[in-house]
Amino acid sequence: MPKSFVVATYSDAETLVSAVRAVRQQNFRVYDVYAPYPIHGMDEALGVRRSRLPWVTFVVGLMGLTFALTLQFYTTVLDWPLNVGGKPDNSTLAFLPICFELTVLLSGLATVAALFVRARLFPGKKEQIIAEGITNDTFALVVRQRDSSFDINRVWKILEESGADRVREREAEL
Amino acid sequence: MSHTGESGGVKSSCKGPKEQLVQIGEPAYWKSVDELHNGPRYTGEFPGGLPASSSRTEATRRDFLALMGFSLAAVGLAGCRAPVQNAIPFLVGSDQIIPGVSNWYATTCRGCASSCSLLVKQRDGRPIKIEGNSASAIFGSGTCATGQATVLSLYDDERLRGPLWHGKPAKWEEIDQHVLESLTSALAAKQQVVLLSGTITSPSTKEIIAEWGKRDPNFRHVVYDAVSLSAMRAANAQSFGQAAIPHYSFDKARIIVGLEADFLGTWLSPVEFARQYAANRKPEGTPSLHVQFESGMSVTGSNADVRVPLAPSQLGAVAVALLRRIQRKAGAAVVAGGDDPVDAKKLDAIADELWKHRGESLVVSGSNDVAVQVVVNTLNSTLGNIGKTIDLTHPSLQRSGDDAAMAELVEKLHRGEIHTLVMYGVNPGYDYPDAGRFLEGLDKVALSISFSDRRDETSSHAHAICPDHHFLEAWGDAEPVETNFSLAQPLIAPLFDTRAAQTSLLKWLAHEQPDYYAYLREYWQKNMFPRQKELQSFEPFWERSVQDGVVVLPSTHAAAEPKFHGDWKPAVDKILEDAKNAQASTKDDHYELHVYESVPLRDGRHANNPWLLELPDPVSKVSWGNYAAVAPALAKKLNLSDGDVVRLKTSKGDAELPVFIQPGQGPGTISAALGFGRKQVGRAGQNVGVNAYPLTSMENGSHRYSAMNVQVERTGRSEKIGSTQTHFSMEGRPIVLETTLEELHKGAEAHEEALPTLWAERLHGEHSWGMAIDMNACTGCSACVVACQAENNVPVVGKDQIERTRIMHWIRIDRYYSGPEENPVSVHQPMMCQHCQNAPCETVCPVLATTTSSEGLNQQVYNRCIGTRYCANNCPYKVRRFNWYNYTENPQFDFNMDNPLGRMVLNPDVAVRSRGVMEKCSLCVQRIQLAKDTALQGKRELADGDIQTACQQACPTQAIIFGDLKDPNSRVSQMHRNQRNYQVLEDLGTRPNIGYLKKVRNPLETT
Amino acid sequence: MSTTAIRVNGKATGTVTVTEVQVLPPQHWVDDNPSLRKITDDIAGAMEARPGKGWWICFGIAFAALLNLGGMVTYLFAKGIGVWGLNNSVGWAFDITNFVFWVGIGHAGTLISAILLLFRQQWRTSINRSAEAMTIFAVMCAGMFPAIHMGRPWDAFFIFPYPNHRGPLWVNFRSPLVWDVFAISTYLTISLVFWYLGMIPDLATLRDRTTNKIKKFIYGLLSLGWNGSHRTWTRYEIVSLVLAGLATPLVLSVHSIVSMDFATSLLPGWHTTIFPPYFVAGAIYSGFGMVLMLLIITRYTMNLQRYITMRHLDKMAKVTMLTGMIVSYAYLTEFFAAWYGGNIYEQYHFINRATGPYAWCFYLMVLCNVIAPQMLWLKKARSSIAFLFVFSIMVNIGMWFERFVIIVVSLHRAFLPSGWGMFYPTAIDIGVLVGSFGLFFTCFLLFIRVLPMIAMWEIKGVVGHGAHKMALSSDDEERKVVNA
Repeated sequence: MPKSFVVATYSDAETLVSAVRAVRQQNFRVYDVYAPYPIHGMDEALGVRRSRLPWVTFVVGLMGLTFALTLQFYTTVLDWPLNVGGKPDNSTLAFLPICFELTVLLSGLATVAALFVRARLFPGKKEQIIAEGITNDTFALVVRQRDSSFDINRVWKILEESGADRVREREAEL
Repeated sequence: MSHTGESGGVKSSCKGPKEQLVQIGEPAYWKSVDELHNGPRYTGEFPGGLPASSSRTEATRRDFLALMGFSLAAVGLAGCRAPVQNAIPFLVGSDQIIPGVSNWYATTCRGCASSCSLLVKQRDGRPIKIEGNSASAIFGSGTCATGQATVLSLYDDERLRGPLWHGKPAKWEEIDQHVLESLTSALAAKQQVVLLSGTITSPSTKEIIAEWGKRDPNFRHVVYDAVSLSAMRAANAQSFGQAAIPHYSFDKARIIVGLEADFLGTWLSPVEFARQYAANRKPEGTPSLHVQFESGMSVTGSNADVRVPLAPSQLGAVAVALLRRIQRKAGAAVVAGGDDPVDAKKLDAIADELWKHRGESLVVSGSNDVAVQVVVNTLNSTLGNIGKTIDLTHPSLQRSGDDAAMAELVEKLHRGEIHTLVMYGVNPGYDYPDAGRFLEGLDKVALSISFSDRRDETSSHAHAICPDHHFLEAWGDAEPVETNFSLAQPLIAPLFDTRAAQTSLLKWLAHEQPDYYAYLREYWQKNMFPRQKELQSFEPFWERSVQDGVVVLPSTHAAAEPKFHGDWKPAVDKILEDAKNAQASTKDDHYELHVYESVPLRDGRHANNPWLLELPDPVSKVSWGNYAAVAPALAKKLNLSDGDVVRLKTSKGDAELPVFIQPGQGPGTISAALGFGRKQVGRAGQNVGVNAYPLTSMENGSHRYSAMNVQVERTGRSEKIGSTQTHFSMEGRPIVLETTLEELHKGAEAHEEALPTLWAERLHGEHSWGMAIDMNACTGCSACVVACQAENNVPVVGKDQIERTRIMHWIRIDRYYSGPEENPVSVHQPMMCQHCQNAPCETVCPVLATTTSSEGLNQQVYNRCIGTRYCANNCPYKVRRFNWYNYTENPQFDFNMDNPLGRMVLNPDVAVRSRGVMEKCSLCVQRIQLAKDTALQGKRELADGDIQTACQQACPTQAIIFGDLKDPNSRVSQMHRNQRNYQVLEDLGTRPNIGYLKKVRNPLETT
Repeated sequence: MSTTAIRVNGKATGTVTVTEVQVLPPQHWVDDNPSLRKITDDIAGAMEARPGKGWWICFGIAFAALLNLGGMVTYLFAKGIGVWGLNNSVGWAFDITNFVFWVGIGHAGTLISAILLLFRQQWRTSINRSAEAMTIFAVMCAGMFPAIHMGRPWDAFFIFPYPNHRGPLWVNFRSPLVWDVFAISTYLTISLVFWYLGMIPDLATLRDRTTNKIKKFIYGLLSLGWNGSHRTWTRYEIVSLVLAGLATPLVLSVHSIVSMDFATSLLPGWHTTIFPPYFVAGAIYSGFGMVLMLLIITRYTMNLQRYITMRHLDKMAKVTMLTGMIVSYAYLTEFFAAWYGGNIYEQYHFINRATGPYAWCFYLMVLCNVIAPQMLWLKKARSSIAFLFVFSIMVNIGMWFERFVIIVVSLHRAFLPSGWGMFYPTAIDIGVLVGSFGLFFTCFLLFIRVLPMIAMWEIKGVVGHGAHKMALSSDDEERKVVNA
């Protein structure tokens, strides 16, 4: 069910950042900001928390390490030990390279997968471009109008004052 | 008994398999060699009895498949006149043949005239492996490379399928008719009929010939050896009044002086001599001193304690110089004049040694110059060696060629005096010095017949070719040394429509007993049986003789040791004369030539045998061709390098050969091997190398194997030389370790303790297989190489692959030189997989295709191998062999595995490797398994010596010992404890299971 | 090529003068400060335009070489490894030399995108995309060789540890070849992911630019519905950082493990402890050499001089020189260790390396890897396109021969003199080598036609406007430094 938003578009990052600050000072919640590249200082302006995705990396990395160790130990020591060059069955040192590689491989893949899940990115997803040229040279600030208590005129005013090129109302499924 | 392999061979048409098998298998009393020695062995159908291990069950399955694959084809082949492909199943078994179980039969080798006694392995109706008959007091269990390879000649695709009349296939009956007619007309017209044969050691065959002589006064038997000792016979006739080759005992000699006699390689009876030679060179005892004077670098020379390179023309002078010194010591009349051709000090020292060991010394000469042989006789008799190291009462019958008679025959042929010429085991069209002249003469005879098994240079000119059996298909007997007999029996029914030469002779003789087998029995009944006392009736005597293969019978004539009564003076004068002329006539741009029998191919009769063609020369390591060996100095002088083709011109003929720079080559002398350059022999041997016979000559009744005033012209061309070892220096690395006799007798130097290892010892099963190789016993003869090839289905790869250093041999013999290049000290080192306990190859294999077995074997799993070649790269011994192509069933490479007939030689117990997999020595794991199963079957412990690897078995000098290192009393363990024992590249910590025993040097002090 | 090079030269010096006036930060990595839209148009436009003649010629040659590779490999599979010049003494030669060579090339990409990212080197932004692409194609070429060098390539799958009924028979985890399998495949996967992840925003840009339905569909599919939301951007950047953190040790590990193929053996010339760092340095050296070459080509075929500036080439040249010197040092160390270690086999090997039948390879390698980089001390050399281009080719030749020397010269004269032999390449050997270049360049030339070869969003971030640049820009720090 489409929601309705107030969308202000800007042509450079600085005005956008100040606009975000302005809107939030007036105790309005900025729904999101759209930009062709990640803007430095926007996190603070928006007050978004640091992502917890690295934990996925750490946990899956540990799992990968354990998997690599178990696989190698099981196959060479338990399942079918063979006398290879008179070396001990459990040649742990020789197992390390593969432990490292599997750790990196699995944690890396998991992290990216986690990002796609969290950010709801998947092939075939219909893109929701809130304003023309977002992926090119346009920046956009989006405020969602929640209920009747929402004072659209005030927001509108703040936004226009913040130096937006254009402010408009828009329905979208963001 | 009436139904024999022979008569079966003659009866035509394809019979049921059973009958064939009966033929092959019978008579019923034939037993296996193990039975011979260890009593009954095989019981029941499965040799292994109940499966001993999971691998065992697999083995039987594989055996079964092998059976389907090979034996069926074999039976088909054995059963029919031409190789047919339709499989004829073993419908009815035979009590002789248990599928998958080998039988061993005694027979006699006909690879050369030495006539060694053999035991041949017959598997599913096919002879597949040749081994020496340990029952023979003369030859022992060893063989030579050539003998090992003769089994392959049986399956030579080039053999004639039947008799030819004027080049067209014909029936035996027709040919017999033609021959008989011609012979009767010859008899009527009193025209000469000549049988031209090589040396015949078979008494029964000689008897047939004698009978013929009795019947036809105009019949002559001319014996012609391509490489003959006729001068020695002549000399002995002069010196001892006995035209014979003495029987030598190198084992009784404390000092051996060889003059151009390659007695460890090709001369007279190499297997026997190698055995004797090694017997009294054990450093633990008092080893004999061996001095060799020679122009080329021969196997024998490479083993000598003192080796003196010289020009062939100086050989006699050396004999004379020694004779003078000995005579002085003996206080006899002394040779006058003549100066020493080599360092006088050396000669003095040698003479001292000879004198010191009067009666236990031995001087032998391979020279085919009567004068030289007379002087040698004088030497030996002055030293009192006659009757001690030289036995003339029981002479050797292994060479009886008569050059003069041959020369005379050629002339007669030319004058058209010969009506009928029968050629048996000779190929003068190739190996007669003036082959052209012989062939011209041959065209003048009314009827010429050859017993050759193929169209060759001579037989292709003959009116009739009556192919003889291969000796593995034939009955026969032999008397290599008087009173020592050896019997031959067929191991397979004749593959083709061939007929024993003897049968042919008997038929043409219109003998009442035309079947040679029957004749042979009668002959033995008449002549041999009476000579023994222990057995009363003939049957058991015959049975035992055939089963044992060897019979020793008391001499028929009184043993009176011949005295030397020859006159040495004329001989000495002649020699000194020649030597002087030689020095005078040799201009400085002229050189001397010396030709010699090649160790693998001998006189050339084996020229189509791929195993032998691929076998590198034991000294030069060159295979697939011969070459002109020149000394490094000479090469520098003429600025020749390896492969430059030069034209050698003698007064008689010329030949174009690639140059090979041979350290130790006689100064100003060029050596070339005989046996190569066959024009008509078959796919494999055709035009390999160059024929050197045209460079030899017939001079006053003896075949000269050397020439003077040889011109060397470069042709500007250059050829690749296929050498399996290109670098001959050890670069000061601990590869072959040496010690001297006195050091050794000083006692064991403290054997440093084993190197530390990072890992705990991994426990093995009940055995730990290992090997010990005595570097002192190994002469480099290379019999082991061919034996391994035969046992393990090692493919032949051909010249091109050899040039790319892709030889497949599992065991190779590395030969290193040390010292000055004009006369280096050489050493031979058999090198195969070292079966390391910390094997570098195993650690790096990504797919576990090579691991250490529970019994310490480094095993290669062909099915698992993906061919990364990492193991070969990481092998310090470079003994791993990679299948770069599909070598089998590939006409591009192999010459026996690419045709169904040749594949019959394959050993069903060993997998034929596919393209792209790594392979290497397995220490004959199939033999280990068999011995284990047998022991299990006999409910006994595996005894030391039960298992012999192919290389060990073939070695005439017992240089290789295999056994269980877990058993402290096994011979191998004892040898590993020997103070001489060391391991190659020990410091790498690979901990090989193969130990080497240091080479012991025994230098001659010259004051 | 040369004529353009000269023309190039003229221009280049022009730009250089520009750089000389810009002494104080903020240093600009893009010339004449284009607008965001201009950046998009320049970069996307370059690939949307019809390819020029130059591109077609290059592609034609590369594709021919690729076809040749197909033929050669088919023949190889049909006949067997024997068609190469290998033998009992030399079991590896061109095959593994090419393998190590290409793996080495494949190192620059991830190094630039990962390590330089962590070091906050802005100059990477113009080149990382194509460098990463190069990495992937190079690793593809590398991966091909272990497969085709096998005696029985149809059984290649044996080297993967999969549950099976062969006993079950697993693989030998002690074998460096198995380590290779894991290292290379991991490296390829991670590089691929990193590369793709970095492209998503640009793919979205292309998606929104294009009017062509099919293109729109494909780019749409690949861009996963990217819509530039800042909340996604934040997560996206964190993940990029994490991946960079993972990829950095990975880059170092891959060539270390490859070097262990040799270091863990006992062959003189292989059995050396300095191999891992030595190989990594060599890899970066050769990788940067290759990137240099590609950039010089592409910036003219796609006229992107504005984005790939002389200053980029200059930085690259400096890194190449440094790694080149590390490599040279390793060469010296090897000889010293051989002499000082007193191991006769080792000593013989190095004498043989410098005086034996393959000595010419050794000296060629010294010329390219030791002497040539020294020229880069001169700014003149660093700022001469022509020189840099020739140099980049020399680097590749030198590094190929380095591997050839290590592999063949060590093998052909190992422990037992009786096992010594020579290696002579066959036509097939050379054909496969040439073919691998064909594969590489075909892939690369196609890449620059269908994918944005410069990371537009990153460039935009760098160019940015005023203070609010891309999060990972390091200019704020720089400015602080200057103010202080």
